[in-house]
Amino acid sequence: MSVHDPQAWDRRAPGRSGGLSLSSWRWLTEIMWRIEHSFGRARADARPEEDTRVRIFVILSLFSAVFVCLALGAVNAALLAPKGGVGSIGHPNAVSRADVVDRNGALLATNIVHYGLYIDPAEVWDRRAAAIQIKRVLPRISMTRLNRVLSGDRRLIVMPGLTPGEKAAVHGLALGGVSFEPEDRRVYPLGASATHVLGVTDTGGQGLTGAELAFNREIRDAGARGENFPLSIDLRIQGVLENELARAVAESQAKGAVGIIADVQTGEILGMASWPTTDRLNRATSAHYEMGSVFKTFTVAAGLDTGRADMNTLFDASQAFMIGNRRITDFHATNQVLTLEEVYLHSSNIGTSRLAVEMGPATMRDYFTRFGLLDAAPIELHESARPRRPNKWDDSTLASLSFGYGIMITPLQMSAAMGALTNGGRFIPLTLRKGGLPNADVRQVVSPETSLTLLDLLRRNVVRGSGGRAEAPGLRVGGKTGSANKLVNGRYDPTHAVGTFAAVFPADGPVNARRYSILILIDEPGTFPRTGGFVAAPAAGRIADRIAPFLGIERRADQYRTALGERIPAFEDVEGDGR
Amino acid sequence: MIAVGTLKRVFDWKVRGVRWIEIIGLVLVAAMIFSVYLAKAAAASESARIANLERQITQNGQRVRLLRAEVARLEQPGRLEALSRGAGLGPVDVHRQATVASLPELAPIPEPPPAVIIAPTLPAASEAAETPAVAAASAEPAQ
Repeated sequence: MSVHDPQAWDRRAPGRSGGLSLSSWRWLTEIMWRIEHSFGRARADARPEEDTRVRIFVILSLFSAVFVCLALGAVNAALLAPKGGVGSIGHPNAVSRADVVDRNGALLATNIVHYGLYIDPAEVWDRRAAAIQIKRVLPRISMTRLNRVLSGDRRLIVMPGLTPGEKAAVHGLALGGVSFEPEDRRVYPLGASATHVLGVTDTGGQGLTGAELAFNREIRDAGARGENFPLSIDLRIQGVLENELARAVAESQAKGAVGIIADVQTGEILGMASWPTTDRLNRATSAHYEMGSVFKTFTVAAGLDTGRADMNTLFDASQAFMIGNRRITDFHATNQVLTLEEVYLHSSNIGTSRLAVEMGPATMRDYFTRFGLLDAAPIELHESARPRRPNKWDDSTLASLSFGYGIMITPLQMSAAMGALTNGGRFIPLTLRKGGLPNADVRQVVSPETSLTLLDLLRRNVVRGSGGRAEAPGLRVGGKTGSANKLVNGRYDPTHAVGTFAAVFPADGPVNARRYSILILIDEPGTFPRTGGFVAAPAAGRIADRIAPFLGIERRADQYRTALGERIPAFEDVEGDGR
Repeated sequence: MIAVGTLKRVFDWKVRGVRWIEIIGLVLVAAMIFSVYLAKAAAASESARIANLERQITQNGQRVRLLRAEVARLEQPGRLEALSRGAGLGPVDVHRQATVASLPELAPIPEPPPAVIIAPTLPAASEAAETPAVAAASAEPAQ
């Protein structure tokens, strides 16, 4: 039995040295001892009951607080947690890039999961046999790469981009050590069709050319929402354009060709093709051409719009037009005085040169600017190139410009300008956006009256002038031919020509009627004659004939032809001897 | 005070020295643990099923994309035109095209043959009135 010493509980823990230089763990031990001894201390102070109750109460409230916190947390997690959870952060059909479709929803570009082929040589039983078997089911694999991976010592990629079919074939070999990793790939199921419009992406899913680049952000946003991204082109029309362009190229043995079909009222491109399709260059947007007589349309339009000329204004084409010592002659020389209409229908260089020189550089420049011939064609595609413009605007240049020489423009610019001329004189920027541009910057180029006159003139040119081969029965096709020689080694070489046909249909009706433009350009045709009326106009006519049902344009008679394409004698009798 | 007394009696209600209230509490806790276990197990199997379905949906979606691309490849205009030209087909000549409105001109609707109505003879009528079933049976071949 020991004597209880009440003061012993206040005694310091053994080993304590005292002073303020206590290290932290010593101080902690001190507190623990104090707590440990407090029960005994309280008993010693003759109030053990109270101390126990306080301890129980403190521990009870501590546990209660912890459990209340836990309960609140559980209720919060059960009732107030965000709905859905991990699975539904994005859209269920979300892809990195949206499918690009045409205006009717036909697929143009999509993402397909491809597979990378990986081999771990440590798990391959017979490396030679494996290599032979893989090569047999996957002929396009690089044997060097395959052997290098098989003779290595770790898992490496052998080949990226296996199609699901190829993956199934390799998987079917049941080889050890072969594995696949999924990878998202951009696929163009139409192959070469519409390839220049669509462009390509890099393997990281960013657009590099064409619409993929122009609408890169919008395509990615649409993909995140799981939607398609529609373009303005119509695959049926695009198909007809490509097929007829290929036929025209085959018939004329040309080096290249361009075709553009657009809605002149909205500026939507319905079809755009550049041949050859294997060429990376999109000739429709990036190639420059001196287009020849198609420009006479703009010269005549400027002449009519300024009021300097009307259809019956006479131009002396009986002899060559001399500017300094430059002699301007006609390809089809008439050697007589011509009205403006005859100047246009006979494609008289002398007549348009005289008109252009009369109007002067300021007027010509003003009209060419407003027709968009001096700036890059406004369209979303980044490829749209700036034209090569003349440096000085003297009389000789004006004469050249009046019949389409001395300025090199892209086919897209021509299409936009023809649209402006045939929709009531409003220059509408071209677009690949379905439904047209919402806030298009539209400017008035010529008056609606001039536009109507030009429409009739274009129609007459097909009925009676150089565009006869573009006639499509009942579709009221109007258009202007253009034929130019290319500059080869500083000289205009007649064996290197460009044949163009800028058509519009239907050419009758009010200025705001539905109307479509077709531009066909044949680059360096090999057959003779190389003029636009022979190499390009037939294709334009056939295209109009084939796409009219898609566009819902009915065959109808106009004042020149019946709905079935027969001549109307009355018209021939009155004006048939006009040429 | 009555309530406190009742509470005290409930706490003092014992069997073999163990309070009944504790036994009931233990049973309730066991039941709750078991039911929570059941609910969790059911939820786990449901979420496994959901994950499985979602994987299937993704796979089907990918397959649909693949098939759409295949359809687009097979229906590309150049290929279709080559096949049609190979089969001897081509654009329809304008003289062979017609609208719905012009159909009557091309093939006039034939005049319907004059309908012959034979007046029923009096005896047949009287028979029909007497025995309708027999009349119907006999009339059938005539139709």
